Amino acid sequence: MMIIRPIQSSDLDTLTAFSEVAGVGVTTLPKDPQLLAQHIFTSERSFRRSIPKDRAHYMFALEDTQQGRVVGMSEIQAAIGLEDVWYNYKVSKSVHASKEVDAHSTNETLYLNNDLSGVSEVCSLYLDPAYRHSNNGRLLAKSPFLFLKQFADYFHEKIIAEIQGVSNDDGESPFWESLGKKFFQMEFSDAYHQIAIGNKSFIAELMPKYPIYLFMLSQEARLSIGKTHAVTRPAIEVLKKEGFHYNGYIDIFDAGPVLEAFVENIRAVQDACSRRCEIIQQATPTVTHKSAMLVANRSMEQFRALLVAKEQVQTETIALSEEQASALYAEAGTDLWMIPLRY
Amino acid sequence: MYIVRPSTIEDASGIESVIRDNHARISSLPRKREKLLERIEHSMTSFATKACLQGEEFFLFVMEESETGEIVGCSAISVNNDPQRPFYNYRQDELIHASETFDIHTTVPILYLTHELTGKTVLSSFAIQDKLLNTPYFDLMSRARLMFLRQFTQCFSSEVIVELQGVTNEEDESPFWDSLGRQFFNMDYVMAGYHVATKSRTMLAEMMPPHPIYVTMLTSQAQAVMGKTDERAKATHKLLEKEGFEASPYIDIFDGGPVLMAKTNETRTFQHSRFKQVKGGKVTTGPLHLVANKSFSDFRCLLAQITDGMGEVVRLDGSILTALNVRQDDEILYLHLTK
Repeated sequence: MMIIRPIQSSDLDTLTAFSEVAGVGVTTLPKDPQLLAQHIFTSERSFRRSIPKDRAHYMFALEDTQQGRVVGMSEIQAAIGLEDVWYNYKVSKSVHASKEVDAHSTNETLYLNNDLSGVSEVCSLYLDPAYRHSNNGRLLAKSPFLFLKQFADYFHEKIIAEIQGVSNDDGESPFWESLGKKFFQMEFSDAYHQIAIGNKSFIAELMPKYPIYLFMLSQEARLSIGKTHAVTRPAIEVLKKEGFHYNGYIDIFDAGPVLEAFVENIRAVQDACSRRCEIIQQATPTVTHKSAMLVANRSMEQFRALLVAKEQVQTETIALSEEQASALYAEAGTDLWMIPLRY
Repeated sequence: MYIVRPSTIEDASGIESVIRDNHARISSLPRKREKLLERIEHSMTSFATKACLQGEEFFLFVMEESETGEIVGCSAISVNNDPQRPFYNYRQDELIHASETFDIHTTVPILYLTHELTGKTVLSSFAIQDKLLNTPYFDLMSRARLMFLRQFTQCFSSEVIVELQGVTNEEDESPFWDSLGRQFFNMDYVMAGYHVATKSRTMLAEMMPPHPIYVTMLTSQAQAVMGKTDERAKATHKLLEKEGFEASPYIDIFDGGPVLMAKTNETRTFQHSRFKQVKGGKVTTGPLHLVANKSFSDFRCLLAQITDGMGEVVRLDGSILTALNVRQDDEILYLHLTK
């Protein structure tokens, strides 16, 4: 059985392995084991509510219970940019016009900003390639939204996801080559590494503060703005279906898009239905592509989510096997959240 | 004899042909007859009223061949202190982006849009026939303005500036314009120059990008011509340098051409010119001097031979006195040409 649960300090080795194979773009997963341990520790305290709300982040593990292995992770941060500075470029338009000379021009312009400071973020989505099948990706990506449903008070009304931008096989980003490199004098991967290990002040020190006109960038760089790396496609698909939108905010290094949504408008949050747990003895039907339903409990410290089959869902109850119920820490009568895995 | 004097309406066609054939581009004088006449009238009013630092004065000088009446050159001074017409430049500046953590420090060249030069007296509209290019008359046409300035400093700012033509190719394309201005004005360099010469400043306020520009983001061709004088304006550049003008951090917003600056009273013309009483006579020897009368509205300047002595008086040929419209015992301003 595949379940979602809070990450624990005992998962450190697995996460260290993830951080080593995750691309340069996954900056929320520090490659330094010590930092990672700290990150996990903060997450554990967050789930125990022993940390101020806006300092919290919640890391979720996807565990294969048969194998006793953690095979994926995802994370929600309560608030970004409160302890350090959160930067984005906003792609805006500058229009110049003169009636006197009958001229008109429109130029797209990048404005450096901290607009997204304080909002929540879904991040650090990683799934072991061997498990990139069945419903695993969706289980991993969508479970946090049921957590959001239950604990909306712990998050900002807006939530974002930063999507990795375009880079080639050598890890070079055309956007970085055309802009960042001219000011940073370092390679793309080095810059990302610095961010991943928490060194952000160099952005303030080296980043151009004035607006950048798009026509000044190489054509390759211009074309990469708001575009995503191929590996991110499944994640984007899930986010878009949930109602996340690109509104012109991009990453300052690789120009990858920021997808935004208001928590209350996220489809999973809106559509989540309450069902009471009912425990049945007979075998539960197999969960298929079509029949998958995502079920989560309402506990913070012992948050759990897993997939059941549509046939198990009744008008007011949900029929779970003992194994499923115990995996959700549910007893007969416990209220659970439920949404279809696919719409 | 070549005489520099204030322009009049009758000079219009002569000025037109001089600026049409000029070796360098003149963006400060309009090509259209009607507009040119407006400028000449403006100049005539300025010479007639002797209004000082009112802000809009424009003094247009022509050089006339006195025997034939042919106009062979022109040049101008404008007071440029009209707040309705702010003066646009880029100021070349630098920021230092430094990070101690990474031991990186980069000097980041940047262009700031500025109106700082509004109110500075500007030398402009310099044009001369090709045949006079390497002659003392080239100096006369340019420096006559300073001989005027020297006498009426109360009408001008304490610093004088000159905008020199930036680099363009044979097709009149400017790499600086193509890398920057063109994107905003949506027109070619020649068209933009035409509009600037003929239209209000509103156009610039509307079309110029207000934000600072990172030089490193411009094309390398554009970067290479920033602050560089076009080949065709090199002679003027050299003359002005000799006069004491120096490169400034300012450049033209269109073609990136340099703005040269000088403290008015530190120019060579100011430092070395002298007033003396004049006596008429027959003078056929002596080194060439710039000689000017002291009239505001009927200013004259020309080249004449003078043998300067220790005395309080200089002797000039009678024909020169006539040409300068001065009489025996009047004071004149004069300056050795090579000084």
